[in-house]
Amino acid sequence: MTSTDVTAVSKPRAQAGWKRLLLSEYLVLVLTVFYFAVMWTIVPEIATADTLLDILRAMMPLLVVAIGQTFVLIVAGIDLSAPSIIAMASVVGASVLTGDGGYANGTGFEIIAGILAFIAVGAVIGTFNGLCTTRFNMPSFIVTLTTMMFFSGAAIWYTTVHTDASSIGNLPRGFIGIGQGTFFGGLPFSLFVVLVVGGAAHFILSRTVYGRWLYAVGLNPRAAAVSGVPVRRVIFWAFVISGVCAAIASILYTGRLETGTPVLGQRILLDVIGAAVIGGVSLFGGKGKILWTIFGVLFLTVIDKSLQLMGLPIASVFAIKGSIILAAAVIDAVRHRVLVRG
Amino acid sequence: MKLSRREFTVGALLAAGTMGLPIMVKAQGTKTVALLFDSLVSPFWVSGIEIMREKAKANGWETLENISDFDDNKQFEQVKAMIGRKVDGILIIQTDSKAVIPAIRAANEAGIPMVHFNRPPAESDAYSVAIQADNRKIMADTVQFLVDEAKKMGGKYKACLLIGDLGDVNAIQRRDGFFDVVDKNADMIEVVARVSTEWNADKAFAGLTNALQANPDINFLVTSSDFMHPQIEQVLQTAGKWHKRGEEGHVLFAGFDGDEGAYARLKDGYLDACGVQNLFLEVDMAFQAFIDMWAGKKPEKLLLDPGFVITQANLTEKQDEMWGYTVWKKQNG
Amino acid sequence: MSAAASVSAAPAAGAPLLEIEGLCKSFFGVEVLHKVGFTVHAGRVLGLVGENGSGKSTTMNIIGGVHQMDSGRIMFGGADYRPKGPRDASKQGIAFIHQELNLFRNLSIAENLFITEFPKLVPGLPFIDRGAARKRASELLAAVDLDIPPTTLVNRLSQGERQLVEIAKALGAKAKIIIFDEPTTSLTTRETDRLFDIINKLRQQGIAIIYISHILDDIMRLCDDIVVLRDGNLVGKALKADMTIERMISLMVGRNIDQLFPPRDSAIAAGPPVLEVRNITQRGTVKDISFSLRAGEVLGVSGLMGAGRSELARILFGIDDFGSGEIIVNGKALTKPTPTVCMDNGMAFLTEDRRAEGLMMEAPIDHNIALSSLQAYAGGFAHKIDSTRLNADVSKMSASVQIGARDIANTLVKNLSGGNQQKVVIGKWLLREPTVFILDEPTRGIDVGAKNEVYKIINRLAAGGAGILMISSEIEELVGMSDRIMVMAHGEIRATFERGAFDREELLRAAMWDGIRSNAK
Repeated sequence: MTSTDVTAVSKPRAQAGWKRLLLSEYLVLVLTVFYFAVMWTIVPEIATADTLLDILRAMMPLLVVAIGQTFVLIVAGIDLSAPSIIAMASVVGASVLTGDGGYANGTGFEIIAGILAFIAVGAVIGTFNGLCTTRFNMPSFIVTLTTMMFFSGAAIWYTTVHTDASSIGNLPRGFIGIGQGTFFGGLPFSLFVVLVVGGAAHFILSRTVYGRWLYAVGLNPRAAAVSGVPVRRVIFWAFVISGVCAAIASILYTGRLETGTPVLGQRILLDVIGAAVIGGVSLFGGKGKILWTIFGVLFLTVIDKSLQLMGLPIASVFAIKGSIILAAAVIDAVRHRVLVRG
Repeated sequence: MKLSRREFTVGALLAAGTMGLPIMVKAQGTKTVALLFDSLVSPFWVSGIEIMREKAKANGWETLENISDFDDNKQFEQVKAMIGRKVDGILIIQTDSKAVIPAIRAANEAGIPMVHFNRPPAESDAYSVAIQADNRKIMADTVQFLVDEAKKMGGKYKACLLIGDLGDVNAIQRRDGFFDVVDKNADMIEVVARVSTEWNADKAFAGLTNALQANPDINFLVTSSDFMHPQIEQVLQTAGKWHKRGEEGHVLFAGFDGDEGAYARLKDGYLDACGVQNLFLEVDMAFQAFIDMWAGKKPEKLLLDPGFVITQANLTEKQDEMWGYTVWKKQNG
Repeated sequence: MSAAASVSAAPAAGAPLLEIEGLCKSFFGVEVLHKVGFTVHAGRVLGLVGENGSGKSTTMNIIGGVHQMDSGRIMFGGADYRPKGPRDASKQGIAFIHQELNLFRNLSIAENLFITEFPKLVPGLPFIDRGAARKRASELLAAVDLDIPPTTLVNRLSQGERQLVEIAKALGAKAKIIIFDEPTTSLTTRETDRLFDIINKLRQQGIAIIYISHILDDIMRLCDDIVVLRDGNLVGKALKADMTIERMISLMVGRNIDQLFPPRDSAIAAGPPVLEVRNITQRGTVKDISFSLRAGEVLGVSGLMGAGRSELARILFGIDDFGSGEIIVNGKALTKPTPTVCMDNGMAFLTEDRRAEGLMMEAPIDHNIALSSLQAYAGGFAHKIDSTRLNADVSKMSASVQIGARDIANTLVKNLSGGNQQKVVIGKWLLREPTVFILDEPTRGIDVGAKNEVYKIINRLAAGGAGILMISSEIEELVGMSDRIMVMAHGEIRATFERGAFDREELLRAAMWDGIRSNAK
């Protein structure tokens, strides 16, 4: 081969490398690492063991909510009620747990009862969302918007019934440990919870009949119905799973803050949906993986933590976060164009 | 198309490696203080953060800022980030007095002094210093002034109180200060309306409108915060009750906080008295608490700002201590 | 019925309007057109046939300005022709009427006709001359024999009427050549006749027509010249008189199909009934339908569009409700059928619209094939899928229905040809080994080779003892495949014909008699 041939060949090869990176499902992770490296030069503290552990800790509850949301997104729905489930579960759970006259206080089962109360709230609200969406054919956007508003209000009302203050504190130490505790010398206990939830979610999505059905319903509900997929049941359970996941996240949040508060998680909705979508989960359904959601949550958490570390005035914080997410969106759009062109 | 794990790892390491080990030069001996707010929604907080920035600069300190947007969990993350930055002190305005406790613990563990500005935390074993206006006393003094005015004019009074968000201890203390005085003068003053505003101007507007419809003869009005003045003015104007002191039909009117609107209405004679939180003093007290803690002292957990009542009589003498006057001056040249 | 068949142009005379020479085109290094050349004459209809992927669409896209040629030459009206884009092509006088029509459904006919250029009150200023627009629109609609006010919204028109609007739009743009891509797939027989009348009229006006179709009957009926493509090569070019359907097929597939319809062993068609339908009635769709389908039998269902054939199929498979009647599958009465219940009783249903109801276009082949059978491969509390067993069976099925794709786990269904897509749907159902298979338009929009393969699969299935209910709008296909044919009209069964007594004209009459009468008033 002559030398001209060599250059002619190597250029497309380098291009192919870029293209491969762009199309890879690890793209968001690569972007995160790149962003992290840039931030390292600006705030070196981001690379300390403490901060890394902090990032891990901060990710955990958000990740559990996002995993639940992924199920709903895959069936082409959306669950806007996640924040209100977190808030409602937080105050209901805390009212069971609290040493200040909690329902289960002094029974010896308070922690188990409390956790069951959390999960029950998530399951009940999820069930309600699922029933309305499937039985009355209402758009999930409207259903969950309504439940979001209702239970955000209900959480505040519930708190005022149980205390004069704006929140319910004095939770048992054993419970707080779920949100704050560590095992194996330093790893947060919440990581263990997330591993279980994430592992189960991954198993369901990739290995079970229900998982395949979820994607089928998201991709083409009519074809799925004709093919014998119980479409309504599949959608129903997606909402229940999302509700329970939000409740589990509420346990972690409430444990960390040692307080049941009715405004818990009120502002995380966009982070949850944003993380899933940045990771690659489609808002139009049929597309999503737990791994992608993890990458999306990691991406947003690293951005948040870096901005917190920088300690800039508020106006610039929003501008920076906005432009980073915009940049990610642009890269994603480029990626789609490359995909279409083949 | 998939990238193999090995390719990914190599790529990631390269990316990280080429960045090199960054070094950020920090002036030796400079103190860094974190200012953690939950919002900047009212002029009180905006002025607060501006005064803090200026005074910190005057002390030769650097400041870092974070706003939690009322998200307790996010604020906890911000405290941890500040601990990660190894700041010398954390000044915090938390949304929830209980949910902030884990953050105090974390700061204690890291040995970083923490000061709560304007809102004290709930009781706990963790140590931090809170600076707070002596709401009950300031409110009582303010209402006392109004009662004295009423006595001078004689007659019976129908009173209305705009109450804040009862989840906020400040709101409760101000309410209690009001009743400390009013209850003693029950023969002269009858409280006919308590408007629950939840620190929301729209609710204040609707609540006061309703109160005036039910009791058109309200002539003694106290608000728990000055930021509701524009709504109050509008409602009173609509009801034909917005008159200056000395004019026929003037409603005795007192506010709390001391913002620029309160200053303007005092100056123009619509407002009779205002309980002022001495924001300048509170920032000084907070920063002094840091200096004391750095020196190894352990200040009291709660330090009170005595505040003062400003009226037409002492307006020129006291206006420089009123933070709203500073804002007003800036706005009006 | 129509005068279409009798009209024909004189043999080519004079200089050709469009002259294509040595046309080559590659996509990503794969050559899809190799030195294709033919001529189009004013006042003549050129039929372009070939299997899917033979290069018909690419050729037309080059003429229509969608793609640029790699090499070759096109002369249009004696001048070099290299359109910069679709708009340039249409400006020069080429109109392309796509399979999926390009009309704005929420706008009126007039607005659609002038969407690119409205008549202006004052030239150069953006004020529309509504009066002139309406007048011109009426003229154009009259030219295509469409007697509808131009202010009518397009979404109120039938598919056939929309097509005529497209043609009117082409006339409005002063098109010299009009390209039709599969224009009759969604038309009723009457609408097709009407279309052919218009095409004949256009031909007489001296417009050149390029007509692409899978329906070879139509090609023979309509075209003056015929060009056959296979794998990007031109393999046949002849006057109609020198061409037969048999010859076209053998040119298209590159081998001789002595018979498009494979022979059937009808001896088996005497099994016990697998599906019995008694007096099924549903208001507005079907009325008093009764029939029985035996094991090993292919029962054809004929009828016009809107005769209630697909509606009946949907009722039988439990997708739509029915008012009264009885459905008995393998001796068991289904009181409240749902797709799941029907499937559990051995039924399968290939819907007429495979994009909307048959496939997950964005999913790979193997996931599509597996979808209906997942539970048979799962067990335990979590219903974990035994992927080794599933993948093995899915691969076997994919090979058995001859899906032309190498990697069934990574090829998305949307990237397959229509024929292969249909085989994916069939494979999905065959994996369940159905005893009653309802096929609604199983060969719609697929090429001849794939059709033949689908027919073979159907025969194999019938030979295996399944009962097959086949709905089709192609009478040829029903005659070739069925043991019996039921004809439906207005939701009722009008006639049933036994094999041996099939007569195309009789079938058509049974389907249309009522239609013609009711239309006449």
